Amino acid sequence: MRKVAWTTLSFLLAVALACPAMAGKKTIKIGLNVPITGDIPKVGEGSKYAAEMWLEDIEKAGGLEVGGKKYPVEIVIEDNESKAESAVKVATKLITDDEVLVIVGPQSSKQAVPAGEVANNYETPMISPWSTNPDTTKDRPYVFRGCFLDPFQGPVLANFITDEFGFTKAAVLYDVASDYPKGLAEFFKEAWEAKHSKGSVVAFESFTTKDTDFSSQLTKIIKSGAQVLFTPQYYNEVALIVQQAHQLGWDKPIVGSDSWGSAETVELCGKDCYGAFFSTHYAAAGATGATKAFIDRYKAEYGYVPDDVGALTWDSLRLVETAIQSCGKITGRIEKDRKCVRDALARIKEFDGITGKMTFTEEGDPIKCAVIVRISDSGEYEFYKSVCP
Amino acid sequence: MQGTVNQRTDAGTQRGLRGWLGRQFGRTPMIGWLAGALVAVVLEQQVGDPLSELLGLPKIPVLFGFNVALKKPLLIPSALAFELLIYALPIWLVARVASPVMNRVSGILYRLPRWVSPAVHLAVLYAALHIWADLSAYRGITLRLMLIAVMLTLSLNLINGYMGEFSCSHPGFMALGAYTTSVFTVGLFMNDKLFGPALLPAAAGPWLFPAALLLGGAVAAVGALVVAIPSFRTRGDYLAIISLAFLFIVKSLIENLEFVGGPRGMSKQPNWATLPVVFLWTVACLWTINNFVRSTMGKALNAVRDDELAANAMTVNTRKTKMMGFLFAAFWAGVAGGLFAHVLRYVNPGTFGLQKLAEVLAMVYFGGLNSVYGSIVGAVSISLLGEALRALEILKWIIIPLLLILVMIFRPTGLIAFTEFNVRDVLRPKTGPDGEV
Repeated sequence: MRKVAWTTLSFLLAVALACPAMAGKKTIKIGLNVPITGDIPKVGEGSKYAAEMWLEDIEKAGGLEVGGKKYPVEIVIEDNESKAESAVKVATKLITDDEVLVIVGPQSSKQAVPAGEVANNYETPMISPWSTNPDTTKDRPYVFRGCFLDPFQGPVLANFITDEFGFTKAAVLYDVASDYPKGLAEFFKEAWEAKHSKGSVVAFESFTTKDTDFSSQLTKIIKSGAQVLFTPQYYNEVALIVQQAHQLGWDKPIVGSDSWGSAETVELCGKDCYGAFFSTHYAAAGATGATKAFIDRYKAEYGYVPDDVGALTWDSLRLVETAIQSCGKITGRIEKDRKCVRDALARIKEFDGITGKMTFTEEGDPIKCAVIVRISDSGEYEFYKSVCP
Repeated sequence: MQGTVNQRTDAGTQRGLRGWLGRQFGRTPMIGWLAGALVAVVLEQQVGDPLSELLGLPKIPVLFGFNVALKKPLLIPSALAFELLIYALPIWLVARVASPVMNRVSGILYRLPRWVSPAVHLAVLYAALHIWADLSAYRGITLRLMLIAVMLTLSLNLINGYMGEFSCSHPGFMALGAYTTSVFTVGLFMNDKLFGPALLPAAAGPWLFPAALLLGGAVAAVGALVVAIPSFRTRGDYLAIISLAFLFIVKSLIENLEFVGGPRGMSKQPNWATLPVVFLWTVACLWTINNFVRSTMGKALNAVRDDELAANAMTVNTRKTKMMGFLFAAFWAGVAGGLFAHVLRYVNPGTFGLQKLAEVLAMVYFGGLNSVYGSIVGAVSISLLGEALRALEILKWIIIPLLLILVMIFRPTGLIAFTEFNVRDVLRPKTGPDGEV
């Protein structure tokens, strides 16, 4: 009997407590599927901060205005631990349990590919701000992305090096076990050889994730007579590769890709990286207009210059905002609203984001410009050139 | 099962919480618990929505209220009340009040041919799980991955617990199974840019899926042979090192194989790993592994672990025994990998790294070595904890390892180690202190 009494008591208590918590207002829910823990927590943090800033703006305006009515917005942040299976679970939870209108994330392709499948099956629009794998959006009408793809970035860099320096022989050093560097290295090679001749990539050397000694590959590259070294690696490897190359006597230009865009690159690499070039989504130093406003605000609030992930997440959220607004009204029937937002996203033209203007293609990939950045002699990421498709 | 029997006879005299629990529930047979769970989930399905609305919850708490409690602490009383009303109360009522009826049912089942009773229990269990998972797709995917974790933990326990070796290649076996199965299904049944158009009609797919899984398991077992041949000539740490090397070999091999997508991974697996399929395979795994370890072969495995020399002297063919155990475990890891690939519908080599190994090892050592029970408890509790505490973000990675450390301090071999899982004994009616039917 004691148990029954306890149950009744807690039941009454619960009802008493719960009654004032009831709210009947329609809210717009946006899910954020990001890696707060795991291999790349910095990426999750950047996305989370960008989302918090965006939400702040919405709340200041008193909600998101759709068709003349203001709706409160809620962001549901879930941690996907940087694992594929967790990204799938989180996507399923956001869609079926939290019933979000749109999902932003996951960031890395290994999670965005399987999570995109889930979102597409449940007909929920999803934007991955950072995933560059073509499979993420391929044949999935409900999945979009906020960045350009590797098949675009590879030729951009090949053209840039040819036009800028007039070189004809290039070397590539990449991580064979990681999908992003490997994909980009191959696209670069293809573009370079199409531009010059077969065999004009004189050294195509690889290593495996977590390797720290690149001397044998670099020696080969130096001996091959290459005029430029292209290495599409992440910040921790960039520092090691560039420093070791200089120690072995490499004095020619080194070019990288958007994975260099983290603030950590210069911090770890130091003076060795000064003067290097890389292609990316936006340049923090010398930014103007909305981009500068975003960077300044982010820096004031969180103490460091945002990476490209933060900027891309911001743009993705602004895209979502635009799509919801152009949808015209929120019916409250989630399936219908999701369909409406998807159609609105696909229709977006010339969206003016902080990482450039974008228009979505049929596949849900944006057509946007890449920026070539030069690392200045004081270690800042300087805008050098803009390359448009 | 000696422990439970004693507990039951002493139940009348014991004091405190344990004694009270014993008096309340000591007479409830397994079918009573399962029936209680079934009643609870049916109740949730029928009145869950209006009840959660009445309590001010946004909707039915999806994972026993953990998500609600961690994200909106104000709703804790409501979530608690919901769980009490929907789960605790009905299960208690059925388990306590209906226990005489349930004992009669259990007794009838017990006297029927041996296979009837387990089949009925499994059917009731599946019905309960199905209704529970049907209410939310999130529950569905969590449950399917949890069942796969049970298979993996069981198979690793066979090596690390029953055989007493320390094997690190389990994610490697999983990867072999996952990729073999995926190549089979994607290659034969899907239009894919890697393998061209579908060769067989999609309708035949679900029927050939078991064959694909068996093939995956077989390839994993062949891979295990590569580890087993050189390493079983020695004992101790050597297997750990060789198997760790094997894990890295498999991972690099897949990363460098272009036709399965290299590091980009493989997607487009058909959606055939549904809940009934995963459930049936898990039951098959549990059944065969439990029979294996309780057979003379399992006993031989234990003998080899305790003293290989003595076992050899007692006419145990130690080499053959170890090979059998190792290959059998690898086979089930391969099958689990195949199911895993088809639940996620994507595989990449990065998934099968050291992190996966740490996860499975944690489940084995948390649950308990040398114990089928322990493996189930370990896999279910670590998966559920991982899911329930997701909202805590970084704190989750402090709480779970802390729990593991505590278990290692107070129960060094795991929660439920060195127990035998006697199905017949678990399922029998519990009418009197002597256990007469």
